[in-house]
Amino acid sequence: MTIKRSLAALGLTITTLVLAACGGGSANPLGSSAPPSGGASSGGGTPIVVGSANFTESQILGEIYAQALKAKGLDASTKPNIGSREVYVKALEDNSIQVVPEYTGNLLLYIDKNATATTSEELASALPTALEKNDLKIGEISKAADQDVYVVTKEFSAKNNLTSLADLKNVSPPVVLGGPSELATRAYGPEGLKGIYGVTLKQFKPYDSPAVKTKDLLDDKIQVGEYFTTESAIADNGFVPLADPQSMILPQNVVPLMRGDVADNPQVKAALDPVQAALTTEELTALNKQVDVDRADPDQVAGDWLKSKGLA
Amino acid sequence: MNYFSYLFDPTKWAGAGGTGQLLLQHLAYTAAAVAIGALVAIPLGILIGHTGRGGFLVIGISNAARAIPSIGLLVLVVLLTSTGFGPTVLVLAVLALPAILTATAAGISGADPDAVYAARALGMTGGQVVRGVEWPLAVPLVISGVRSATLQVVATATVAAFAAGGGLGQLLISGQRSRDYSQMLAGAVLIAALAIVLDLLVGGLGLLAARRVAPRRTTKDKTVAAAATAHA
Repeated sequence: MTIKRSLAALGLTITTLVLAACGGGSANPLGSSAPPSGGASSGGGTPIVVGSANFTESQILGEIYAQALKAKGLDASTKPNIGSREVYVKALEDNSIQVVPEYTGNLLLYIDKNATATTSEELASALPTALEKNDLKIGEISKAADQDVYVVTKEFSAKNNLTSLADLKNVSPPVVLGGPSELATRAYGPEGLKGIYGVTLKQFKPYDSPAVKTKDLLDDKIQVGEYFTTESAIADNGFVPLADPQSMILPQNVVPLMRGDVADNPQVKAALDPVQAALTTEELTALNKQVDVDRADPDQVAGDWLKSKGLA
Repeated sequence: MNYFSYLFDPTKWAGAGGTGQLLLQHLAYTAAAVAIGALVAIPLGILIGHTGRGGFLVIGISNAARAIPSIGLLVLVVLLTSTGFGPTVLVLAVLALPAILTATAAGISGADPDAVYAARALGMTGGQVVRGVEWPLAVPLVISGVRSATLQVVATATVAAFAAGGGLGQLLISGQRSRDYSQMLAGAVLIAALAIVLDLLVGGLGLLAARRVAPRRTTKDKTVAAAATAHA
């Protein structure tokens, strides 16, 4: 009886942990690659397969790209939820997909581990060179970005006259920072705040549920929270994003990553450039919310957005 | 790769958020939850067992409570109240409750009827019957209830990390998020070890209690035992 019960409890714990882990939206190292299909070669009238990574935003962007290409008469389809960067870049290289939504900063670091670019401009000039050896090209870089951001509540911002990370060191008493647990070891985490902005934290608290993190930020149990710019919690609660004048956080602007021949296709360029120009961080946030909170289908959300912009 | 590098790294044990602190947090959650669970469940179990009423309720509650997903309840409680020690312990206590409650009720109502009749025949009041006869006979079963509750809680206290409450579950989550598998393994090994140690401890307590309850050579007990034999 005792053994049975404890086994059941252990089983429950493991199941919940695994479920929660899978729901975390982080890149899963065990995420398997979908079997390759689609056109053997690309360009001209041949099929274009748009892949996407294993999180909501990437799937929405993949749908947007595919439907924008279709609207220009190209034979485009999607292969959503391929997995992490390791998997979908490989799929691009072996031509099982031809286009995938990407983010400038992380893409550069993946291609070139020793890259030194820190600003949007440096990234834009470094990326094409770095991608040459893989015969990959990027499209226009959007101003929409999904990157890490530190936020405080409106009250805390007003009380301490705080709008930038550079001012954070003047806030006393020292603040408690809350963020995803992996932030503890990131260069732009507590270590970067100390090294670059001279901020001594009272404590770093790891959070694995964004809802709980938001609750604690509103309850003043933490004073600074670390979010992604496209999380709807920021606007919903009127949190104030802190500026990053020293470019500690690498910009992550949305950009389509393509095989060289597809990127050179003028029809593809004509389809994707207006999309890239129309995307903003706020709109991306709203699109994410429609899928994650309102449970809409990514392809429906993507289609409605393209129509609202007159792009499909 | 050395899978045990995290577990045996002394620098990871020290300081705020270190393994040592997480282990203590885990122990504190477990102890507090089982204590609160016992504090509620034992009196309630005695009442139900002694009066013989509400047995249906006991079975209903215990079955329902075991089906509650702890992590969902935890997030719900935290969002409705706040994060911290209290709400987390409350959720874990809900988990500890049914095992102790059913065991206590079963122990009390299952006390040797001959002994109970004898005690009544001697003119003991209801309270005296509970204190002098039913409770001592039920203690081994109550302890086994506490034992299974402790095991459930020590394993489930990993969910505290989901509500920013620390505990050894933090090692599992942080390790998974940063793909540091030696950290995850450290968490898993420590939770398993803690479960075994606590089980042995409470089990030992049960043995002690059983020995104490077993025939005592006091005049009162002799009288009760003699009366019981006479009744049979």
